[in-house]
Amino acid sequence: MLAVKAQNLSKTYKTKQESIEAVKDVSFNVKQGEIFGILGPNGAGKSSVILMLTTLLKPTGGVAEILGLSVIGNESLVREKIGVALQETGIDENLTGKELLHSTSRLWGLDKQHSEKRSNDLLRLVGLLKDSNRRVKTYSGGMKRRLDLALSLVHEPKVLFLDEPTTGLDPGSRRVLWDEITRLKNSGVAIILTTQYLDEADELADRIAIIHEGRVVKEGTPNELKASIGGDVVTFTFSNKDLAKKAIELTPNAEMFENELRVTVPNGPQFIPEAFVRLRNAQIDVAAVSASKPTLDDVFLSVTGSTLSEVDDKT
Amino acid sequence: MTIDNSMKAKFSVQLWVLIKRLLFRVVRRPYTELPTIIISAFFLFVYVGQLDRVFGGGLSIPIDFSNGNFVNFILPFSIVSASISGASAGISLVEDIESGVFRRYQAMPISRWAIILAPMVVGAVRVLAQSGLILVLGILIGASAVTGILGYFAVLGIAFMWGMGFAGYSVAAGVRTGSAQGAQAATFLFFPALFIAPTFVPREALSGWLATAAKFNPTTYVIEAMRAIMIDGWIAQPIINGLTAAGLFAAITLSFAVISAKKATEKN
Repeated sequence: MLAVKAQNLSKTYKTKQESIEAVKDVSFNVKQGEIFGILGPNGAGKSSVILMLTTLLKPTGGVAEILGLSVIGNESLVREKIGVALQETGIDENLTGKELLHSTSRLWGLDKQHSEKRSNDLLRLVGLLKDSNRRVKTYSGGMKRRLDLALSLVHEPKVLFLDEPTTGLDPGSRRVLWDEITRLKNSGVAIILTTQYLDEADELADRIAIIHEGRVVKEGTPNELKASIGGDVVTFTFSNKDLAKKAIELTPNAEMFENELRVTVPNGPQFIPEAFVRLRNAQIDVAAVSASKPTLDDVFLSVTGSTLSEVDDKT
Repeated sequence: MTIDNSMKAKFSVQLWVLIKRLLFRVVRRPYTELPTIIISAFFLFVYVGQLDRVFGGGLSIPIDFSNGNFVNFILPFSIVSASISGASAGISLVEDIESGVFRRYQAMPISRWAIILAPMVVGAVRVLAQSGLILVLGILIGASAVTGILGYFAVLGIAFMWGMGFAGYSVAAGVRTGSAQGAQAATFLFFPALFIAPTFVPREALSGWLATAAKFNPTTYVIEAMRAIMIDGWIAQPIINGLTAAGLFAAITLSFAVISAKKATEKN
């Protein structure tokens, strides 16, 4: 059975003046034991997709199913199957980590004894046992994210939604969360992950969908996505912007970033010497050149026309 | 580990867990209780100090509408002022909406009613605690109900109903506006209502527009009912009027809260 099925999922927000299509015909499937990454800049619609799949927002069109159950009409059943750690889901910081886990366990129907045990198990799992009697107010960002993850695992969900789980964390804390997410995946949990870190998607996700302006513009495994661009990404660096501007006229299909030109070519080692000759003949000095296999950032650039970090800067 | 197949706590457990969480919050931030307590105690002491000799029969001017105990006369006003702490229900709900805690509960199979009801119950507990405290203060400085202990409980009962009305109003305002300011508006609406009423003198002594406005202000009847219990004894008419005013107010605002909450949880 599919863990998550989205078919032509759509969401249109209507105001008096206009209607905004935040999500348009989004389709994808996620299997059990799979990590599915959703990439996209802020405002691309990934939040709306997640909220619809977690029953928190009503779709205006299409199908959304969790383990075969439609999210419309089965809200309560679906909520029993999913774990949710979203940007929009907060924590009462006046409570201690232990109190929060204990009360959440009670809300999931565990009795006092089992709640106690479950709380301790989860606190140990996310490495918060020794801080469990401190109020959450005093926790660091990384500790809060780990607690958030623990809270979403209380009822052993089959499908887990994680919204930017490592945003703002130091590399050590990220690694701890990554290991935990991988362990969950290996135990058969389906994980839907949004992230603004391409390396995170590359490292964790089995498959990725890039969402841009409400649509899935690309979907596949990280390797498929990278291979889809084909060839090598060649980057020329110039000592200043003006040189880069001159050079772009001699380099078809290149994109300019500050004093850099980036161009995707079928064969880097063959392309570089030819380009060098062209540039030298035009008296343009190249400060540095490099060729690399495409990254997810390059994929993102090719399908959306901007890099993920660039788009985020704008919003 | 196995979990009960239904994966759901009983309604009573849900409600209790949610109430407990909010009570923890109150206990850990006691300073949020201070403003209403202080202002209500302030009213009590200041008005007794200012008006006791004038209206309590202490001066040679022959005015006395409290049978020689003006504290009895002003105490109900102070208690009604303390019952505004019921408005904390909406503020605490909005706090949960703003912090996303509300969203977290929405994503769990928890009854919507438990989520909305818990802050109201906690609001009611605060109303009882705060009006109880003001009542004790009043007794300490000389208030004494002719109806005895039972009378004190009756006064608290009316304050409780009145406070629940404010809890409902603030929850509705909070859910509709989704902002703490919206819930806070409940508080501001309350203050003029406290004074467009027979606050310091009986209703017969009011004149002009204020006399008319007081007639339409439910606060008037709530205060009058409490005064009857404190000063005159178990007199049916004012008590029935007060219970009706408080009861209607609570019924209307609570329905309003429930409808707003239903809309909010089902929106989009």
